[in-house]
Parts: sequence; structure tokens; C-alpha cells
Amino acid sequence: MTLSSLRNVPTSFLPKHLGAEPLAGAPGELWLRVTPLSFERTCHLLSRAGARFITLLATDGGRDEREPTAHGKHERGLVAALALRGHLLAVHAPRPAAEPVRYGSLGAWWPAARWAEQELVERGLAAPVGYAASRPLARPDASRLERRVEGLDVFAIPYGPVRSGIFEAIQFQIETGGENVLAVTTRPYFKHRGLERRFAGLDPDRAVHVAERIAGTASVAYACAFAQAVERALGVEPPPAAQRWRALHAELERLASHLDVIAKEAETAALYVAQARFQILKEQVMRLRAELCGSRFGRGLVVPGGVRAAGGIGPEPLLRALDLLEAEFERDSRRLLATASMTDRLLGAGRLDRELVERHCAVGPVARGSGLSIDARHERPYGEYRRVGVRVICERAGDAMARVNVRLREIRESLRIARATLDRLRRGEAALCAPLPDRASGAAFGWAEAPAGEVVVWAELREGVLANVHIASPSLRNWALFEHAFGDDVLTDFAFIEHSFGLTPAGADR
Amino acid sequence: MLAWIPRGLRMGRVTTRYPQAPEHPPPGFRGQVRVLDSSPAPAELAAICPTGAIGAGSDRRLALDRGRCILCGACVRAAPERFAFEERFETAARERRALIEPAQRAPAAAASAPARARPPLGQRARPLRRSIHVRHIDCGSDGAEEWEIQALWNPYYDIQRLGFFLTNSPRHADVLIVTGGVTEPLRAPLERTWALMGEPKALIAAGTDACSGGLAAQSGLVAGGVDRVLPVDVYVPGSPPPPVALLDGLLKAVGLLRERSAMRAARALGRSRPRRGR
Amino acid sequence: MSAVLALALAALALAPLLATLSPRACSGATATGCALLVPPGLAAALHSARPLLELGGWLGFGPLTVSDDGLAGIFFTLTGITGAAAALSTFERPAGRLEAALGGMLALLVALVIGAGNGFELLLGWEGLAICIYLLASADRSDPGRLAQGYLTFSLTKLGGAALLAAIGLLYARTHSLALAAWSHAALGAGARGALFALTALAFGSKVGMLPLQGSLPAGYAAAARNGASWLAVALGAGFYGLWRFEVAVLGPLPSWCGEALLMVGALGAVAGIVYAATQDELRVFFGYSTVEHAGIALLGLGVAVLGLSFHERTLAAAGLLAATLHVIAHNLAKTLALIATDRLELASGERGLDRLGGLSIKLPSTAAGLGVASLTLAAIPPLGGFVSEWLTFEALLQAFRIPSLLAQLLCALAAAALALTGGVGLLAFAKGYSFAFLAVARGVRAHVRELRPAVGIWLLSLALVGLGALAPWEVRGVGAGLKATLGFNLAERAISHPLVLGPVFRNFAVLAPTWLSIVLPLYALGAAAIARAGGRRREARRAPVWLTGSGAEPERVQYRPSAYSNPLRVVLRGPLGFRSRLAPLGAGRWRLQTSVTVAVERFLYRPAASLALRASGLARTLQSGRLSHYLLYMLVALAVALVLIPVLR
Repeated sequence: MTLSSLRNVPTSFLPKHLGAEPLAGAPGELWLRVTPLSFERTCHLLSRAGARFITLLATDGGRDEREPTAHGKHERGLVAALALRGHLLAVHAPRPAAEPVRYGSLGAWWPAARWAEQELVERGLAAPVGYAASRPLARPDASRLERRVEGLDVFAIPYGPVRSGIFEAIQFQIETGGENVLAVTTRPYFKHRGLERRFAGLDPDRAVHVAERIAGTASVAYACAFAQAVERALGVEPPPAAQRWRALHAELERLASHLDVIAKEAETAALYVAQARFQILKEQVMRLRAELCGSRFGRGLVVPGGVRAAGGIGPEPLLRALDLLEAEFERDSRRLLATASMTDRLLGAGRLDRELVERHCAVGPVARGSGLSIDARHERPYGEYRRVGVRVICERAGDAMARVNVRLREIRESLRIARATLDRLRRGEAALCAPLPDRASGAAFGWAEAPAGEVVVWAELREGVLANVHIASPSLRNWALFEHAFGDDVLTDFAFIEHSFGLTPAGADR
Repeated sequence: MLAWIPRGLRMGRVTTRYPQAPEHPPPGFRGQVRVLDSSPAPAELAAICPTGAIGAGSDRRLALDRGRCILCGACVRAAPERFAFEERFETAARERRALIEPAQRAPAAAASAPARARPPLGQRARPLRRSIHVRHIDCGSDGAEEWEIQALWNPYYDIQRLGFFLTNSPRHADVLIVTGGVTEPLRAPLERTWALMGEPKALIAAGTDACSGGLAAQSGLVAGGVDRVLPVDVYVPGSPPPPVALLDGLLKAVGLLRERSAMRAARALGRSRPRRGR
Repeated sequence: MSAVLALALAALALAPLLATLSPRACSGATATGCALLVPPGLAAALHSARPLLELGGWLGFGPLTVSDDGLAGIFFTLTGITGAAAALSTFERPAGRLEAALGGMLALLVALVIGAGNGFELLLGWEGLAICIYLLASADRSDPGRLAQGYLTFSLTKLGGAALLAAIGLLYARTHSLALAAWSHAALGAGARGALFALTALAFGSKVGMLPLQGSLPAGYAAAARNGASWLAVALGAGFYGLWRFEVAVLGPLPSWCGEALLMVGALGAVAGIVYAATQDELRVFFGYSTVEHAGIALLGLGVAVLGLSFHERTLAAAGLLAATLHVIAHNLAKTLALIATDRLELASGERGLDRLGGLSIKLPSTAAGLGVASLTLAAIPPLGGFVSEWLTFEALLQAFRIPSLLAQLLCALAAAALALTGGVGLLAFAKGYSFAFLAVARGVRAHVRELRPAVGIWLLSLALVGLGALAPWEVRGVGAGLKATLGFNLAERAISHPLVLGPVFRNFAVLAPTWLSIVLPLYALGAAAIARAGGRRREARRAPVWLTGSGAEPERVQYRPSAYSNPLRVVLRGPLGFRSRLAPLGAGRWRLQTSVTVAVERFLYRPAASLALRASGLARTLQSGRLSHYLLYMLVALAVALVLIPVLR
């Protein structure tokens, strides 16, 4: 570590007396090396300074060399990724080989870190002191009932993993006295497919297909985050046209996801015409994506270094389609917000306090609906978003109506960004993919704003092949908040609140 | 509330007329991978596929297992003279070995192939030819297949016009659509759901994950396809399969497609009623 | 018949003495005595015989007799049947000596109250009944909750006794005689009649569960010892008899506000009783509130009868009285059966609350059958007796247009609406009570539950109840003959138009044929079953486990709780029900849910009254200083006051 490398790294925003030596990583990342003993204290100081917890991961390091390069190939250890004022902080506690790291438990005082920490404990990579978990995360037993509310009037309903309707598998244990929901226990990890380990040994070209299939409804965002991680690890910048295509597809994906949430809310409220209208809009977006890249979910488009191909239809027809979509959407959303039978169900349901959301470090529309302006495209702009500014949509009420409102306004914002990107695409450039250096090594974070929130990917490459990949899915962090959303709601509000969160179990379980 | 009525009538009819009229995929759509040249190939070609779908067939010719193919296009890019994308929606098949392209010849060689699939639902029970209740179960998919199955009930496809209804209770279900290669914690719920359904019933494995486990098959956390757990009637590969492919799969499971195509052929030939055989 | 009556009373008097030998002997004697009460009762009701037992005047206060006229005959029959069943059930199960003796004592005292011809005798019987009930209710002295409930029962009964004493005092002051016959013929002013009505209604109403003194019933049933509750149901007969005797026979035409007050109190009591019953999770308390409801319904019929007498419409009075009497008969039989069955259930399973029961109909068939028949009767399901009496009550209330007073007509209409409401909620409540105890999957108790043999009492009463509906015309004949002396004409001639068709005393107003219903409804059921069988050959039934969203959880552990079943009612009516629910944190992410339903009468009447009484007694306690000098001072003061007062009063 030399002073020269530190000169470009602003450290004034860090709290004083941190007791950690800052190192520069890839641009936008700041690494703080600490000992395992002071790991918890550093994280605590940073959280008091307003840092937001992203994830806890174990780095591989490979051989035992310690040479922090400009991109930070770091040794084996425990890393806590936090976001503070537009920077990605990585608090790194190295561990001796093959032993789980002993450190003060973060989950004891930071609710946001509980599940991430528990995952590492169950994989044998960490041994936090003062850690207490009530039940194992991995291999959940669907028949096991854990009661949190005692009393003669309370009974527990296991809802899941096979739910009513076409939904993904996750189990909720709802404790109720009859109508009132007293407690909800969320149990993910039914769909744990071990995809993080699947990356090992693949080259980035083929590994991006694994990244696309972690959360299938947010394929483009996860692929962008992964591609960005690899590009930043290897110091490659994708050409501007590729960045624009990525942004366009990401916004189309956001459109489809938000329209899907609103259609589901309309269906739950038995407003079937509205449901049909929004399903039509969503289907139009999906068909548009299929015409653009051959896959309805934007798969096979993003690759580390750029995109594989340009769009299959020209900018003019695309712009017309977007205009038509917007006109229909405006009228439908106006009618939807004027339908009292719909808004009555959403107002006041699933209220989340701002302070609770902050403690859980939630992201995405869940956080923005409670007044936190967190958006990865705005905090740490990446790709085309550096040139096209993004307005962060916030609502203050924190209930399901606020989250739906956030999505309605984000649809408009996405359409605006899509149009702006399309305008720049018309002045076309040919280069679509920058080549990756051969047999290169590196490690970095990459991020993107998925429809459910910010997804952060950590990728370690060794000799051109991926070694260790960690995905910090927005759904995992937000699912931990779900059980706190039930104040005095009744059972029939459950579906509204769940849909307003808009999370995917596949992303959380990986 | 009444103002929704003109909104609903606004676009007129958007519903497809499939299967009476064909539904064409958009140009460039990646429906399935076709083997153009199936002469024996070097081993490096098989290593390209992330899921191991490329292999040698019964007579050491090149074979692609569409049940494992995730449509990533690596093979098309590496060897465009041997592989090409085909724009095609209908990818469903009633037997696992029918998913291997080109069609394998000798059934005796495929010793591990499951027994001959059961006849379609429509032939097993007459009342089920026009009214089918469908139940879906997720056994570890990535979430995209659920979107595509949900899309079957949107106004574009409107599967209810063909007599398919969604039900929440497995007791009332005739067809079970399974997505995702079966993860260990979801195996018992799958078996319970299947056991609760009354005969006659059919099972559709929707998506490449359900057909063979997909990308996660090598991780050991996934059973490697629904047919490792339960007998499958129809396989619908694709990552994810588009709604028309799922519709095609459902019709094959019910047996309506054969009947309709038989009726259409009969009408074309000028006969009054087709011969009901097999 | 007088000899049989004497024998019956002798047997009942012998029973407590036999308790020193063995409880079984005592119960046997009680059963014999009660069974022997039935023939004189029937004779008095049907043939207008008047068995009479002279006991002499050795207690002072006039000659003591146990007389049996038509009205008393009906209640003797009722008491005899219910008492015999209760005694038989005590015989079948191991019971303590005290409980058996108390049962016999209670039966004797009820017979005394019903047959009393003398006011003093009535009071003696009534106070004895109060002591018996107190002893039955506070038998379990180890449980402070039950002890408190026993005290509540006793104090409310004592309040009633005080009102009765005041009424008797007032009547004596007016007529200078303690004989009931003298009171019937006395000429009392409207004010006096009104005051007497209020006092006697309070007295006898507190026994049967009239608002606002209804607290003794749920508390008493819950606190009662093992067989005590069924005896408490037998004692209801005395309360209803008192109401019938005084409001209709003795006090004669009352001012119209009396009938209107009865209608109001009856309607309120009926609705409140069943709504509180629906939210209870303990069977005993549930049946206590159900008694409150049915007392309210009986009071509706009585109210119409009183109104009819006030306005000199004897046919209307007959309609009301017929409905009320039939209702009392059906209710008493059903309630005794229900409480016997509850006792057996508790003995077999060791559980009181519905929460831990379930699925016991196979292991306890007799108990399940008994409670089933009782529940169907109490919920007024055709063609059983409870339905017949409620139908007649409706019809009586619908005769309101014959009353010239607008207020009375309005109240009758509102009362009919309240009755309809109780019908609906009653079905909910009884479905909950029965099914959570006997149907579905067992939630707690399982292996050790075994039916007690024999179950003669239960089968006897069940048969009686089932017959009550089918043989309703004969019952009406009996009641008509019994009430002939009171009303002046035999209403059975008007009520039964066709040999098997009933009407509400007014011809051509409405008809009901319960006998035909008893034949036709089961035939419908058999026909439906036959059709299902014949057409269902192609469709086979397949048994599959409960679908619990694929989780594989055990159904017993995720079942609905009884309180969850009535939760909508609790939430919707949380104001009137006084429903509170609170989540108390227990630390470590665990919580406890505390819910409570507070009866409005308890909150606004009993608790302030109790605190007032406690404060007053606290004040009085300061007088009990324990010093001899203070007591001598009190005696001196009393003497001085008496010396001053005597010349003044003279």
C-alpha cells in the first residue's frame, strides 16, 4: 500500500477513530482492513455514521499472497460490504487458513446482518461470538411449527411451500387469533440450488448464464451486476452502445416487473378488468423484449465486456411502441388510483416505519416507499446511468399504497430513461463488446438496480476463470423485513402486503 | 367502477386463436436449438455446453438433449455450421427421449428410458376433454417459469377459452405443472401434492430445470429433474418456455391436440367424422 | 295421589340421611322420590285432581301444605323427570356423599317450593334452596376462582331472597295472611301490584337468569362440583314456577308496563345471553349463558301473557303462556341433559375447556348423542321440542296487533326481531360447542378417554326430548289442562285444530304439525341418502389427508381454535361484549396474547356494587372493635333508642 494509491481515495466521509487502514479497491470501492477482534466495532461505528449493510461474505484469496493491487486481490477473510454516502465500503478481516473467523456477532445488534451471518455460520466460514440463531436456515423443515405467540386464542397456519396460485415456493408461518395477524415467520431457503458455487471453474462468458438464472424475473439486472463485477475486476469498460442497450433492457425489465406487481394487486382486490389491462401491458413489454433480443426475459444479451448483439427492431418502431404503452398506462393507472375499492385495501396495509426499514437496511421500492431514497442507479451510478440522471422516487407513508405508488411513478421514470437511452442509441456506434484480457485475475464488486432493489455481486477471477462469487440479493434483505410489516392487519391483507413487497424467493435462496 | 368497462373493451380482441390458427414467434426468437450437422464431433464441442446437453447419441453421432439445453447459444456461436437457433414455440414432447435431437432410432439402446407414457388425459376420462383443472407447484425454479405460466391466463392467451382452469387445491386438480428441478426440501411437498390429486391425473415438467435440473443439476442440491421423483407425462423444455409452448404442452397432456389435428386433417380430406383410434 | 305425593316427599327427605350410608343409596332414594313426583303431577295437570299433603302448623305462620293444582302439576312433572335423570346420573358415577345428599335436599326443596300453599313455606323452601345452591357451587374450596364464583352465586340468590321476603311482607301487610289462596283473591291497587311484580320478578328472575341478575348462572355452573350443575338446572324449575304463579295467577291483571318490562328484559337477556355464550370456550359457562338466553325467551312468552291479562285478552294470554310453558319444559329437559352430558365429558376427559377436546364422538357415543340432542333442542332445530316452543313464541309475539297499546306493539315487534337474532347466533354457538367437543380430529385428550357405562339417565332424557317434538300435541293437551284453572279455559281445544296440527291458540292464524315433521324430515334424509347411494356407484369416494399447503404439518396442531371460530363475533361486537385483546411481550421475540370478554352487567353493576358492599362492610368492621366496653355501649344505645321509639310509634 502506497500513499499515492490513497491520494485518489477520499476518506473524509469516514468516521474518526475507525482503527482501520483504508485501501483502494476498484473505482468506487474502499477497503478497510481490520483485525477480526475489531471487526464488529468498526462495523458498529460505520453503522452509526449511517452506513447501510449490504452483505457479509467470505473471500477466497487463492494462494496466501498478500498484494493489494489497484484492483484489490485480497487474502482469504471475512468481508462486510456496506454502503456509505455513495461509496462501497468493504471491511475486511483476514482469517488464518481453513478456520472459521471468530469475531463479535453483527446480527446481535444489526437485524439486517442476521441471515447473511447465519449463512456463513452454517457453511462453516464464520464463528461469531454472541451469535444465537433460533432455527437453521438451510434445509428448512416444512412441517416444523415454531410458535412465537402463546395463548389459548392463538393458532398457527403454515402457508407454503405450495401456495395458492402460481407463486414461488417459500413458507410463511402465520400466527393468528382468527382474523388478526399476530406474528408472521418467513422461512426462505426452500429453493436453495447452490448456484453461487456453480460459478466456480466457468469462464465469464458462460458464467453469465448462471447469473441470469439466479432470479429469473430480474435476469438482466443480475447479469449486469455480474458483468460489471468482472469488468471492474479486470479493468475493462464496455463501449457506450453496449451500456445503452444494457440500460434499455434493464428499464424494460423494470417495467415488466412493476406492471406485474400492479396486476397482482388488482387481482387480489378482485378488480379483474384492471388486472387484465395491466397484464396486457406487461405482455406487450415481454413481446417487445423478445423482438429485441430473442428472449422474453432478456437472456443471452449481457456478457462481461458488453452485449452480444444489438436490437432486433429499429429505434423508430421501438419508440412508437413505448409511446403507445405509456398512453395506455397513464389512463389505466389514473383509473386504478380512482377506484376506491382498490385503494381502500392498500391504504394503511403493511405499514413500515422509516426507522425500522433503516435498521433492516432494506432496498428497492420497499425502502423508497418508506421515505428512504436508496437507488443504486443514483447512489453509485453505473453504465449509462452516469449520463442519464435518475430521479429517485420516494413516498413517505410506508404502507402498501406507498409502495404501489412508487412503482407507478417508477414506471414513468423508466419510460423516460428508456426514451433518453433510445435517443442516444440512434446516433449509433458499432462496437458492442470490449474483449476481456486473457487469463487475467482480479476481484471486485459489481452492482445494479434490479426491480426489487439493489443487487451486489462479488466476483473473484483467477487465470480467467471464476473462483468465488457471492450474490447479495435484494430479496433476501427485504424478506427479513416482511414479518415486521404486520401491525393490525388481518389475514385478507396478507396477499396485498406480500405483492406490494414484490420479492422473489429464487433470488433470496440462490 | 363502471368506467372500467370501456377500458376493458378498448382494444377489442387480443386473444390468440391458437391452436386453430398457428402462432408465429417473432423473428430472431430463440425457441430451440437445431442440430444441422450430426456427424460425430470432437470432444471439445461437448465441453462448450454449460449443462452438458451436447453428447454422443446412440450411434456416436452428435446429439443435443433439448431437455438440458438452456438456450444460452454458446454452441451456436462456437459451431454455427452444426447448430442454429430455430424460431419455434412448440417444443413439448411426451417422452424424454423425444427431446433428444436428432430423433434417436433404437429404443432398445436407451435402456434407462422410462416406460411408455400414459395415454393423454382426454382419453383416460371423457369428462376431462373439455374441462381441466390445473395446479402449479414450484420445486426450485428461478421465477421466470412462473411468469410464463401466469401469462397463460392473461387476455393474450386466455387459456380458459380452451377449458383450462386454475385451482388452488390439489384435490380438484387434473394436471400438475411442476417447475424447477426438485430441491431436497421441496421433494416431500411435491410428493404430497401429487398423492392428493385424484386419478386420472397428468404431470407436466415445465422448463429445462424441471426436465433435467438445468444449471443446478451439478450442484447436488437438486434431484435433477422431476422424472427422478414422479412419472412425467409431458416435458416442456425451454428457459423459460414461452406461454405458447406451455399451452402446447397442456394440450398434448390432455390429448386435444392430436384430436384437433386429426379432425382438421379429416376435414381437409372431406370425411365427415375422423376415425377415433388409439 | 296424595299418598304417592307423601311417599315421594318422604323418599326425598330420606335421601340425605341415606347419604351417610353410601352415596349410591342416597341417589337411588332421590331418583325414586323424583320418579314418584311424576304421577301426582300428571294427575293434577290432566285430570284436575288436587293431591294435598297437610303438614300441620307446628312451625307457626299458618298451616303448611303441599298442594298440587294444575300449574304446580306441570312443574312437578318437569321436576320429577329432570330430577330423576340427574339422580340416575349421580348414581352411575362415583359421587361424594355431600353432593349426593345435596342433590336429594335440592329436589325436596324444589318440590316444597312448587307445592307451597303458604308464603312462609315458600320462603323456607327458597332460602333452603339458596343454601343448597351455595353449597353445590362452592364445593371446590381449593380453587379461589371457583370460590369467588360460588360467592357471587350465593349473593345474587340472597338478593333474590331478600326481594321475595319484601314481597311477602308487602302482601302480608295488605292481606294479613300468608296463604297463597288469600293473596290470589286480594284486592290490590295498581301501584301495589306493580311493586309486587317488580319484587317477585327480581326474586324469581334471579334464579332463572333474568337480566340484570343473571350472573348466578354462568358463575354457578362453572363453579359447581362434579354433578352439581345438573342439579342447578333442576332448580330452575322452582324459579320459573314462581314467575308463573305470581305474575299470572296470584297478582292477576297487572298494569301494562309490567308486561312491557318483561318483554324488554326478555329480549335483552335473550340476545345478550346467546352472544356471550357464543364467545365462551368453557362448556359450563357456555351453558350458563345459554340458560340466560332461554330464560329471556320464556320471559317473552310470559310478557305476552301478562299483557294479554292486562288488556283482558285471555286468548292472547293463553297464546303467550302456552309458548312460555312449552319453552320452559323443553329448555329444562334439554339443559339438564346437556349438563349431565358435560359432567360425563369432563369426568371422562378431565378437560373443561373446548380447546383441548375434539373428536370424542367415537369414544363417548352416549355422551355425544345426549349432548347432540340437547344442542339441537336448545338451538331450536325442527322438528324437536325447542323449535315448537320458539315457533309458538314467535306466533304469540306476532299477535301484538290485538293489543291496543302502541308501545306494547312496538316492543313485541322488536322482541320478535331479537328472537330471530338469537336463533341465528344460537345456531353458531351450539355448532361451536358441540363440534369442538365431539367432532373433527382430537386436539388434546385422546387415549385414556372411555365411556362410562351405563348411561340410563342420558338415554332417558334424550328419548324424552326427541319425543317432545313428535308428541307435541299431547304435550299441549297436558299443558292446556294444567293451565285451565289459571286461565279459565282449556287452551288445548283452540290450539289443536286437527288431531296433529298445532296453532297459536288463535285459530286460522298459523299452523305447525311437528308430528308430521318428525316423520317427514327423517324420510327426506333417508331419501337423499338412498339417491346418493344409487347414483354414486360410478363415483368412488377416496380418502385423502387434509391439505396443509404441502407443509406436512400435523392437522391437530394447526387446527382452528374454538375462540377463533367466534372471533368475528367478538371483533364485530367488541363494544357491547367488552372484548379486549393485548399482546404482551415476553422477551426474546416471544409474545403472549391476552383476551378477555367482560359482561357489561358485571362491569357496570356487579363490580361497583361489590366494591360498595366491601367498603360498607369495611366501615361496619370498624364497629367490631373487639372491646367489651364498646359492645356494652352499643347495647346501651340500642336500649335508649328503643325506649324512645316505643312511645313514639304507639
